[in-house]
Amino acid sequence: MAALEVEGLTKDYGEVLANDDVTFSVGEGEVFGYLGPNGAGKTTTIRTLMGFQSPTSGGGTVLGHDVTDEADLIAAKRRIGYLPANPAFDEGVTGREVLDLHASIKGDERRDELLETFDAPVDRKVRDYSTGNVQKLGLVQAFMHDPDLVVMDEPTAGLDPLMQRAFNDFVAAEKQRGLTVFLSSHVLSEVRRVCDRVGIIREGRLVTTERIEDLLHRTGKFVHVRVAGDVSADAFDLDGVHDVSCSTTDGGRVDDAGADDANEGTADRSATTPPDTADTDPPRVEGPVTECTFTFTGDVNELIAALADRTVLDLDVEEAPLEEVFMRFYGGQDA
Amino acid sequence: MLELARYEGRHRVRGAAAATAALGGFALLYIFIYPTFAESLGADIDQLLEAYPEALSKAFGVQSLATMEGYLASELYTFGWLLVVGIYFAYAGASLIAADVERERMDMLLSLPVSRARVVLEAFASLAVPLVALSTVVPVVVVVATEVVGYPVPAVDVAAIHLLSVPYLTTCAGIGLVASVVFDRAGIAQRVAAGALVGLFFAESIVTDTDFEAAGVVSPTRYVDPNAILRESEYALGDAAVLTVATVALVALAVALFRRKDIQ
Repeated sequence: MAALEVEGLTKDYGEVLANDDVTFSVGEGEVFGYLGPNGAGKTTTIRTLMGFQSPTSGGGTVLGHDVTDEADLIAAKRRIGYLPANPAFDEGVTGREVLDLHASIKGDERRDELLETFDAPVDRKVRDYSTGNVQKLGLVQAFMHDPDLVVMDEPTAGLDPLMQRAFNDFVAAEKQRGLTVFLSSHVLSEVRRVCDRVGIIREGRLVTTERIEDLLHRTGKFVHVRVAGDVSADAFDLDGVHDVSCSTTDGGRVDDAGADDANEGTADRSATTPPDTADTDPPRVEGPVTECTFTFTGDVNELIAALADRTVLDLDVEEAPLEEVFMRFYGGQDA
Repeated sequence: MLELARYEGRHRVRGAAAATAALGGFALLYIFIYPTFAESLGADIDQLLEAYPEALSKAFGVQSLATMEGYLASELYTFGWLLVVGIYFAYAGASLIAADVERERMDMLLSLPVSRARVVLEAFASLAVPLVALSTVVPVVVVVATEVVGYPVPAVDVAAIHLLSVPYLTTCAGIGLVASVVFDRAGIAQRVAAGALVGLFFAESIVTDTDFEAAGVVSPTRYVDPNAILRESEYALGDAAVLTVATVALVALAVALFRRKDIQ
């Protein structure tokens, strides 16, 4: 049995079709990432699955319970944890009081253990919480009744990198225990480590669902390289290089002037210049400098080998942003 | 059951205490100035009524100021209780659902295994805290204070007016509750509910004794008459029943609307 199923889900707000015939399912014990840019319709699907709004047509099930039947859905909610995109709690009460209320209705067998991982200051009033602490409190309430399915809307937003890693480790451990997770994100790199499979939604339509390895292989890396000399785009004629764009400038780096100013300038100027500019400066070179960007889906070793006989001034290899993925693979479909 | 009502009720204790203190103080002030007022005017006191614009005396139920009962019926109960406390409950009712929707707390609440009907009913039930506080403390203040100033009012009548105004206040809260499920912003729900109540209050007093009297039938104020209770010891139980039915109908309407609503 699928832990979560969406079948022909359509939600028409009149001026916008937020979900257009969305169909997918999430298996038991699977961690499923629901990805898409902001405004794509992720939250609409999630809020419909939680019964906060009714679909225009279609529907779905969670843990086998019909999301359009209130009584049936309530039975499922005892075993579901939920974290909204912007968790909000009563401002005038302490985190402990919030958790006590949730505990009185759905139970809290894992509260203490969770508070060790997500250490929200439960004795302080929610009013005094930072965004990160609100998110931690939200995570604790989502997991404290030891649910079988957890639905999270942008769970990593608002967490600092350290907490994000703790979150990833936590989800991985929960997955080992057999938990099913459905989470949304607009940042692929934030969730790629925890997801088994992803669904990509754009402008209300589900574009694809695929295993995360397949997606990452297809999306490739975003490469930004700066080399000495006047180099043409042909220099990067390797397997897996797409959309090369190069520009050459004379006499060193475009932003050299800025860096010099920062070194000699007043305290005020230095403060407004990124602090690492001077420290991380590559060796200054005479003559032209070429700056290239491209998407790379090949073997990174080949790229490094190709660069080996050049003077590399700077090299950035990062995961392709989700928007790039859309442009590359799905841009034409909606046009 | 009742976890939500208990939770919300606990957070109403301070507000209820403040409202009770304010109304109690208001009652004391009225009662303590009455002797000076009555003695300085003596037997001519009701001539003062002629100086009141007729619409105003009707609106505030001023029938006689010659007795403490008549004075309290108009000054304290019609104005202070039916209008001011009525607005307080309409406001409180209007904040219940709309405030949670507006502050995006409703998603979190509805993610719990609770029905929407239960969310509405328990939120409404939490208003019992200010209702009980006001309806038990203020009558004691009135009975004791009128005794102290030497113009005692029968405790039974005072108890009766408070008891019979309970369904009136729940009706006011019910009007607010309906507004709070219709509108997604608490501020709008509050203004609509309070505005509706004030409108009904004055509409009823304007149409009284006119050809449009029947139109006043929808106003909750028609069903509580402080003058009849305090001056004549007449308790209109049928009217209280009408208000009880109205409360149930308003709450049922709110539940029905909220069950169908897309939470934004």
